[in-house]
Amino acid sequence: MLKQYPSLRYILQRGVWYLLTFAVAVIINFFLPRLGSHNPVDIIMGKFSAGMSSEAARAKEEAYLKEFGLVKVRNGEILRDAAGKPLKTSNTEQFVNYIKMCFKGDLGTSFQKYPKKVLQVIIEAIPWTIALQLPTILLGWITGNVLGALAAYRRGAFDRVLFPAALFISALPSFVFGMLLLYYFSVVMNWFPAMGGYADAIVPSLSFEFIQSAAYHYLLPFLSIFCILAGGQAIGMRSMGIYELGTDYIKYAKWLGLKESRIIGWLFRNAMLPQLTGLALSLGTMIGGALITEMIFSYPGLGMAILTTIQNNDYPMIQGCTLLITTSVLLANFTVDILIGFLDPRVKAGLRIGKGN
Amino acid sequence: MLNKNSIFAANNCTREFGTGKKIVRAVDNTTFSIESGEIVSIVGGSGCGKSVLAKMMLGLYKPTDGTLLYNNAPVTNTKIHWREVQAVFQDPFSCFNQFFTIRSQLKDAFGILQEKPSHKEIEKRIDNALLAVNIKPHEISGKYPFELSGGQMQRMLLARIFILRPKVLIADEPTSMVDACVRANILDYLMKLKEELKMTIVFVTHDIGLAYYVSDRLFIMHNGRIVEQGTPDEVTLSPRSEHTVRLLEDIPEIHRAWIC
Amino acid sequence: MTLFEVEQLSLHYLTRFGEKIHAVTDVSFTMKKGEILGIAGESGCGKSTLVNGLMGLFIPPLYPTDGIVKVAGESLMNRTPEDIRKNVLSRKVSMIPQGAFNALNPTRKIKDIAADVIAAHMKDIDRKAIHTRLRERFDLFGMNTEKVLNSYPIQLTAGERQRSVIGISTLLNPRMVIADEPTSALDVSTQKIVIKMIFNLLEKEIFSTMIFITHELPLLRHVADTIAIMYAGEFVELGTAEQIIFDPRHPYTKALMGAMLSAEAGQKQKKPTAIEGAPPNLAKPITGCRFAERCPVAKPQCHHTKQNMRIIADRQVRCEYAQ
Repeated sequence: MLKQYPSLRYILQRGVWYLLTFAVAVIINFFLPRLGSHNPVDIIMGKFSAGMSSEAARAKEEAYLKEFGLVKVRNGEILRDAAGKPLKTSNTEQFVNYIKMCFKGDLGTSFQKYPKKVLQVIIEAIPWTIALQLPTILLGWITGNVLGALAAYRRGAFDRVLFPAALFISALPSFVFGMLLLYYFSVVMNWFPAMGGYADAIVPSLSFEFIQSAAYHYLLPFLSIFCILAGGQAIGMRSMGIYELGTDYIKYAKWLGLKESRIIGWLFRNAMLPQLTGLALSLGTMIGGALITEMIFSYPGLGMAILTTIQNNDYPMIQGCTLLITTSVLLANFTVDILIGFLDPRVKAGLRIGKGN
Repeated sequence: MLNKNSIFAANNCTREFGTGKKIVRAVDNTTFSIESGEIVSIVGGSGCGKSVLAKMMLGLYKPTDGTLLYNNAPVTNTKIHWREVQAVFQDPFSCFNQFFTIRSQLKDAFGILQEKPSHKEIEKRIDNALLAVNIKPHEISGKYPFELSGGQMQRMLLARIFILRPKVLIADEPTSMVDACVRANILDYLMKLKEELKMTIVFVTHDIGLAYYVSDRLFIMHNGRIVEQGTPDEVTLSPRSEHTVRLLEDIPEIHRAWIC
Repeated sequence: MTLFEVEQLSLHYLTRFGEKIHAVTDVSFTMKKGEILGIAGESGCGKSTLVNGLMGLFIPPLYPTDGIVKVAGESLMNRTPEDIRKNVLSRKVSMIPQGAFNALNPTRKIKDIAADVIAAHMKDIDRKAIHTRLRERFDLFGMNTEKVLNSYPIQLTAGERQRSVIGISTLLNPRMVIADEPTSALDVSTQKIVIKMIFNLLEKEIFSTMIFITHELPLLRHVADTIAIMYAGEFVELGTAEQIIFDPRHPYTKALMGAMLSAEAGQKQKKPTAIEGAPPNLAKPITGCRFAERCPVAKPQCHHTKQNMRIIADRQVRCEYAQ
């Protein structure tokens, strides 16, 4: 039925695959923490029950069990067996519950920040991460690609300086580069603050003071991501550009006497297509990818949140974060798949012709 | 018409691509046989289905209808099939990996054989194959594909055939990207393969003039159908199909008005 | 009226290791308006390098060694690339490349590529005027104009692509057209259609003078008025099409004719014969005749006496022993 609409069919086809991937990811995400021999409540109780009376400890434990859906509940009361022990829910029941909650947008309660909801913790941290990563990735991607295209087209001295520099920077591990920046600019030169997203004394608000402080704290983490990303993109774009320059259609454009600016335009567009995938991946992993940078600069984003949750075996938080990361990676890839299908007529023609065999 | 001992025997062999309204019949109800030791040329314009038919003989496509038998059996395992049926293609550069030397890739060709000859035997067979296509072994030693010309690379593809000595060679437009001199050379090598190794050759081309020289029989294809088959002289002297007439007329002959 | 003059043109490449490859040596010819010159030779004989030289387009590593190229009395030598781009390319000398599929930008529609060409050479022309002009021109080509203009290269057949390339190259009615193997990637029937289209453009006076490069001598018989045979960077024979095809005098021309096919009935005994050996390495200076190594009638002195063009039987031949 959809044969007449190859584009729509393509989108749906891709969409189904991504949905399947997502479903598998959700299942893995649910079962992984449950593979361990202890249930999370045991771990929490192990930490907090010291000094409590056994009666108080049991009440506390039952409250936790109820909260995390590990026991059967009817009308707010825990169901018990003959011996008065709470009835445990099976994994399947827990899974069904988990899916139901997910649809309601409820990712559960954080152990560590009990009784804070996971979603709330994420919502508090995520603006910092997005503010740090989104502009950095976009700017880094654009800068890197423009520089790479210019290096490919102009070659000469510009290329001889840019190429090794980009190669060096992009080969540095992000934590090394981050620490180097931190050491030199804040420890040695004392130009920039070493940690935090804003000065401790200021309460976050939309005041000029806060924005100024945030921008001041922003620069080093920004640079540490920006340089590495731009360097990597520049190298990719440069080699794509050099490849495209050697193609017959660029030679033909020169023979026809097209303007240089137009030829660069052609070159940039065609060389950029494969680079788009890189952009999507960076955007997709943006949420979780800033972990190391945020650690080094003690930046109050999601990366830091994930770090503390992992350290504290905060399973609902871990699940919530991985779900978020999975979703964003899949969404970004899906978008690029569709985008490339429309931007590259070769892919589009492939849809119409079908796959040969 | 079907002979029991044919190398290839096709009976209403059909290959379709796509589904529903957009179905394309690339090979349409072809019935033919190819006997051992002959050179058969499949001739037709672009899009006539000749390459698809060649790929079916290689076992790369299966017929969607009818049968195509190799030695009285359909092709099931291509790996075994390729021990006996090998191909050369139009663009030799896309057939070789740019990152390995040509000699090492010629050596890799032995991988398809059931029993690998001894190391010494391999080297000897490569040297002999290179000499068979008029290339001195030292000329290509340590060289990569991009260091050779198109004509030399096309001869490397043929050297591979001299090495493997398959029973059947499918040559899919091996001359369309080379100039006239190399083309004449390649025709010589095809004849040599037939005469010295008794190879059966299926030669796919758009140029009926070219097919005329090497073939024992010609198949003229148009729109997926074989519209005429016969010996070169039958087909060129008294063509029965209008498509054959057209193919003959479109060749720029020096003694005949071409564009009126 | 002489439109195109080439005098003793020599061109060289610099390889990455600083080696000079003398790809074209001492090429001279003149063309009148309305003339069609065919150039034939094996691959690697310097045909494609010559094309760049004839457009005055010296993009490193290609450099002129010596000689002069003149279009309508105006020299193309020692001019800046920007000057050549603006004033020569597409207008005075235009080129039709081989392999139309690779020559067309895969991510642009035919109409956009063509519009870029018009925009690059005509000031103050608006989009609408460009597109009307395009439609009018493409209507001459015997294709579905709307479909072709609105397609990406991959959506067209080989014949449509090659015709689009010819259309794009001749949009600005160039004085000279250089066609570099425009039909060698096509099957015989499509080749005929494309040649017919070129003849149609000549008839309509979209352009009138053309250099047609190919390795198919029989094709030149039907296309060219004069034919030049090129070997290892030199012209070895230059004469009318009839002279070269039916009465070749240079040993190389004879050998090349012998390698040509003929499907004429009953000609099977005239099997094409390849020329043994390979062309000389042009990085090293060659003193004698360049074809001597492969020449079936070479004399010992051929290997070290330089051969110059001389007139035999009304055409130029670079062989002092040719009859």
